[in-house]
Amino acid sequence: MISLQTVTKLYNEGRPGEVRAVDEVSLEIVRDAVTVLKGPSGSGKTTLLSIIGCMARPTSGRVLIDDRLVSGLPERFLTEERRSTFGFVFQRFNLIRGLSVLENVTLPAAPLGQDPREVEARALARLEALDLAGKAAMPVEYLSGGETQRAAIARALINDAPILIADEPTANLDTDLTHRFLDIVGALRDEGRTVIMTSHDPRIWQADHVNAVISMQDGRIVGEYA
Amino acid sequence: MTPAFRRQRALADYTLAALARRRGKNIGLVVIYALVVFVVASALLFSSALRHEADTVLAEAPELIVQNLAMGRHDMIKGDVIDDLAAIRGVTRVEGRLWGYFYDSVNGANYTLMVPLDPDRVLAPGEAMIGEGVPRVRGMFWETAPLFLSRYSGDLVRFDVVERISSESALVSTDLILLNEADFRDFFGLPGGVYTDIAVTVRNSREIETIMSKASALLPEARFITRDDISRTYQKLFSWREGIMVALAAAALLAFAIFAAEKASGLSAEEAREIGILKAVGWNMTDVIAMKLWEGALISAGAFLIGTLAGYLHVFTFQAGLFAPILKGWSVIYPDFALTPRFDGVQIAALFLITVLPYTAATLVPVWRVAAADPDQVMR
Repeated sequence: MISLQTVTKLYNEGRPGEVRAVDEVSLEIVRDAVTVLKGPSGSGKTTLLSIIGCMARPTSGRVLIDDRLVSGLPERFLTEERRSTFGFVFQRFNLIRGLSVLENVTLPAAPLGQDPREVEARALARLEALDLAGKAAMPVEYLSGGETQRAAIARALINDAPILIADEPTANLDTDLTHRFLDIVGALRDEGRTVIMTSHDPRIWQADHVNAVISMQDGRIVGEYA
Repeated sequence: MTPAFRRQRALADYTLAALARRRGKNIGLVVIYALVVFVVASALLFSSALRHEADTVLAEAPELIVQNLAMGRHDMIKGDVIDDLAAIRGVTRVEGRLWGYFYDSVNGANYTLMVPLDPDRVLAPGEAMIGEGVPRVRGMFWETAPLFLSRYSGDLVRFDVVERISSESALVSTDLILLNEADFRDFFGLPGGVYTDIAVTVRNSREIETIMSKASALLPEARFITRDDISRTYQKLFSWREGIMVALAAAALLAFAIFAAEKASGLSAEEAREIGILKAVGWNMTDVIAMKLWEGALISAGAFLIGTLAGYLHVFTFQAGLFAPILKGWSVIYPDFALTPRFDGVQIAALFLITVLPYTAATLVPVWRVAAADPDQVMR
């Protein structure tokens, strides 16, 4: 269970351009399910996703993951939490240009001191499962949109993260690729992973694989559907 | 292989891949950096080797030179004092030396004319040995070409060159012309029984002060110059010239400081974003800093090695073609000789400290600033 208790996030706090991106949000996200945060641009869903994924700290409020309080943890412990619990797929995928698909996928494992052959085998298996094994050596800038997204998913799963976080993963994809992505999400849920993603695409939050939809506006939750 | 070693290897692998991605920029960086190291390394190696060379040559010089002074200026000394000096306890040899300068108005060069004391270098009348700089400035391309010197009276005197002195001692012999004693006296119109100065060799160089005080009691008007005095003069001369090099090196270091300060002022948006991505996918601040340390170490150590090696080759293989006119020689005749390669560990360590450490520190500060922030903040 991921629990958020009256979480607020301010940007430019105390300065003229102060923004209340998340406003006293309380929320519980169940494990082994697919949860979608929906809402228009600027509704605070990406910020909330960052707070859930330990990429940003709340200005106030508490975040608990399986009853462990993670908000307010020092940077070192927060990284450890991020590393062991979450895999991220960013809106623009954020693969590192100039590196190959395989190098990008193995990136999260680099500082762990694992056997490089074992990491590579794991990465290739992930790429194989996502139909990308043939492009392992290709620099990521030569991939198509769908391939880039799948490479980002492979990177997010290389450390066997139990929770996958995806920010607008289908924003730049056509219908076919969106359905393919949803199939992957369904398979991940069936493997026992938790998937939390943001989207303002009805194809996502109306999909069969999705277990819960949380609607946001102006930094607040305005609706929850199971 | 331990996990810690594997971690470092993985970080180094990533660093190499990251460097290869920005190949053009990084090669440019290494070239500029290596150029700075090259200038500073050349200056340090060259001046150090030159001083060492001077010390080596002077090691064979007599311990004490006695000169007569007249009105405070160097004047000829009478040969009578040789026996008095030889009688001082601890003195092993006393020899009158004949040397002088000859200004060649044709090419503006000053030659040092001298009568050799070395018994292996006895010259017959009309013969001469010359330093390697003399035929060079006089255009004596043939090995057997005779040497013509114009006396002050205007007549030409011919000398047959029997040997060109090897360039091993060229630092002090490049402008040298060795003559027979009679020819020397005749050339300068010098009477018998007087010498330019007197060379004193002693048994134990630590007794030089005692011997000098006894000699000064015998010759109160004379000036005494020890080998250490000459060595100090050389050192000062080279130190002064080295100052010019230091000014050049300082300009290079200033350029380097500006470049390092630019690095310290912040990362590009692309670099910051990349650090944000790395942190988001699970790298912690230490991992990012370790990776950037690898990057800084590879660039700075690479540039340091290239610059130092190029400086070494420049000085010891290519005879410091860029700096030689500033640092060696003191007339129109510049010595042409090979410096003995030597490697001064302290100087190299100093060079490392003033080039590699500031760069590494300059790159780490902005990285630390970015790596300490939350990934969301960096990537935003």
